[in-house]
Amino acid sequence: MISLELKSFAYDDGAVLTDIAFSLGAGERALMVGASGSGKSTLARVLAGQFDAGQGHRFVGTLSVAGEHLVFAGSGSDPRIDPAAWAQHVGYVGQRAHAHLSMVCATVAEEIAFGLANRGVPAGGMHALVDRAAARLGLTDLLERDPRRLSGGELQRVAIAAAVVGNPGLLVLDEPFKGLDAAGRRDLELLLAALGESGTAILQFEPMLPRDTDPANRVTVLSGGSMVAVGPDARGREDLGRYGIGVDGAVSDAAPLMSAVQERTVPAVRIRDLRFGYGAEPVLSIAALDVSSGEGVAVLGPNGSGKSTLLQHLNGLLRPDAGTVQVYGEDLRGRPVGSLASTVGYLFQDTDQQLFEHTVLREVAYGPRVAGLPRKEAERCALEALAAVGLADVVHHHPHDLGFRDRRLVALASLMAAGPRLWVLDEPTVGLDLRGRDILARLLRGHLGDGGTLMMATHDEVFARAVCSRMFRLGAAG
Amino acid sequence: MRFRRRILNPLTELTIAGLLVVLVLVIDDWRFSLGVLLLLVLPAAATSGRAGRIAVAFGVLAGPMLLFLLLLHGLFYPEGERVLFDLGPAAVTAEGLLFALEMGSRVAAFTGLLLTAALSLEVSELLDTLTHRGWNRKLVYVLGSALGLAPLVADRASQITRAQQARGLVVTRSPLSKLRALVVVGRPLIAGLLTDAADRSRTLDARGFAGTGPRTSYRADTDTAAQRMLRWGMLAAVVVFTSWWYFGRHT
Repeated sequence: MISLELKSFAYDDGAVLTDIAFSLGAGERALMVGASGSGKSTLARVLAGQFDAGQGHRFVGTLSVAGEHLVFAGSGSDPRIDPAAWAQHVGYVGQRAHAHLSMVCATVAEEIAFGLANRGVPAGGMHALVDRAAARLGLTDLLERDPRRLSGGELQRVAIAAAVVGNPGLLVLDEPFKGLDAAGRRDLELLLAALGESGTAILQFEPMLPRDTDPANRVTVLSGGSMVAVGPDARGREDLGRYGIGVDGAVSDAAPLMSAVQERTVPAVRIRDLRFGYGAEPVLSIAALDVSSGEGVAVLGPNGSGKSTLLQHLNGLLRPDAGTVQVYGEDLRGRPVGSLASTVGYLFQDTDQQLFEHTVLREVAYGPRVAGLPRKEAERCALEALAAVGLADVVHHHPHDLGFRDRRLVALASLMAAGPRLWVLDEPTVGLDLRGRDILARLLRGHLGDGGTLMMATHDEVFARAVCSRMFRLGAAG
Repeated sequence: MRFRRRILNPLTELTIAGLLVVLVLVIDDWRFSLGVLLLLVLPAAATSGRAGRIAVAFGVLAGPMLLFLLLLHGLFYPEGERVLFDLGPAAVTAEGLLFALEMGSRVAAFTGLLLTAALSLEVSELLDTLTHRGWNRKLVYVLGSALGLAPLVADRASQITRAQQARGLVVTRSPLSKLRALVVVGRPLIAGLLTDAADRSRTLDARGFAGTGPRTSYRADTDTAAQRMLRWGMLAAVVVFTSWWYFGRHT
């Protein structure tokens, strides 16, 4: 179906990939794992024919898909790939599913049909293909919904449906399970298995080896932009660990539960009879929740159970319909969000939503600056926080030029720079590789050890157990 | 939560808005501009289901301009003779106020018409109509990517504001504080949008939106023969009226 022999691939700003060769036949499934910065997303885009991103690049190697054999010599006369025509053979869904939405479609059905409509497929045929793709991805009941109002898991399935609606032979997925809960993962896994059985080859990129990997699937390791040969049995933790790859849900040194709880002080968080809903729809209802200073609490629950909603009440981004929220003894009612930043540090689920400045230093110094510190002093705080997350050498980079792990660490540093006692983190481990998880675990333990408090929403119970002293579970109905 | 007025096809609505803008400019009379604003734009915006968003956009775009007109011409109109209040170097004159009213009502009508049309528009239905009408694909692409950007801008702006607030930007209920928040969101918003726009054009290209062959539409045509005739009729009427206004009226 597809075969790639890549000698080298580089964007003008540096070498990215070297010596990668593999092929994938109809219905085969392969997994490519690599740490942040190992070149996964670049390789995924090369296979998806989307590497000519208005940026200079040199590609030396060959790429064959569906009988078409393209030879690239790294010169100006290389073949050019029309991404739309390529998409008929290779479906691709990148890490941010919503980035694949056209934003010009009112319903899920039209969104799935968008590529077909652009190719001029007649309406009758289009309806049949959309219905079939929707049935394959479990989206039949959602066809008339507004795609901008879907949950993360639903959106991911819409993006995949849109990629496979024209029945491409190969589907390339860059971290398709990112942010999905156990049920969402299971559903998507079943759907992918069914796609495979119907003959679609699937190539999946992951930063960690999934725990439940089917032994029949091929696993390839990507490290430093090259493919690493690992034997069929080399799925053990130690072997992969050499390349910075962990097994999903693992923390390198699982410490015993922390218990630095300071009993007699005012509780860091005190919630009473909290109720919140969007319109008439109740989302969250909590009778009582107390978190002591120095305590680490993991908030667990399936997608849509209200984890993020709960966390956003802790710095006033959301306000309760009824009930009270107190942080360090102070009722948050009437307190502007911004005035809480020096007490409550908030890490958003989508890191890229959180970063808005054009250098890492400005980004991290934003909090101290807006709190009124002079520039020099703010930058000193920022540099300290950046050193703590291990990013002291990229202070002048644009945050978006960094890899995913480093972007998340920049977001964390920007929270730390303001020195809040309570850290509120929304799914901090999602998409992180082994090194990122290690750094995060170390920082969280350090914060708790210094008497700080942590509330963290997560699907990752193993990680939660390694850093938190208590689990707080939200049911499906909040 | 959606109370959409759905009387006309978006292309018809857009045509009406465009032609009214032409008429406001041609007739150039504050009574007509004010009439359009109060009798057409206001009810249309109020029933669009997006009244809040239209009001905010109108305030941001037209507000400063209207204030500026009022201050400049209200206080410093050079030809002003009938002085209402004398403030030393400045004077509020009747002529100045009338001129500010003329300019202001025109600007307000103009902005209100275009904003109401653009923000209450169902982009996907407009693209479907243009596709069914067989319009040039490149034009459909440009219109689609430009109009599809509006919700993206709104989302992105609210994300940045939330992120800034979570990091210490204090926004209170006072209008001054809100205005400050609006200003500080501007630069990162534009920088972020440039990145997003590049990503989006890549996405649209990869999904074949920029193709050259004929495009089809998933949805059935919502346009009607009557509306098509209405559009052409209105266009012709405005052309005839404008010619008469400029050339025939005085002869």
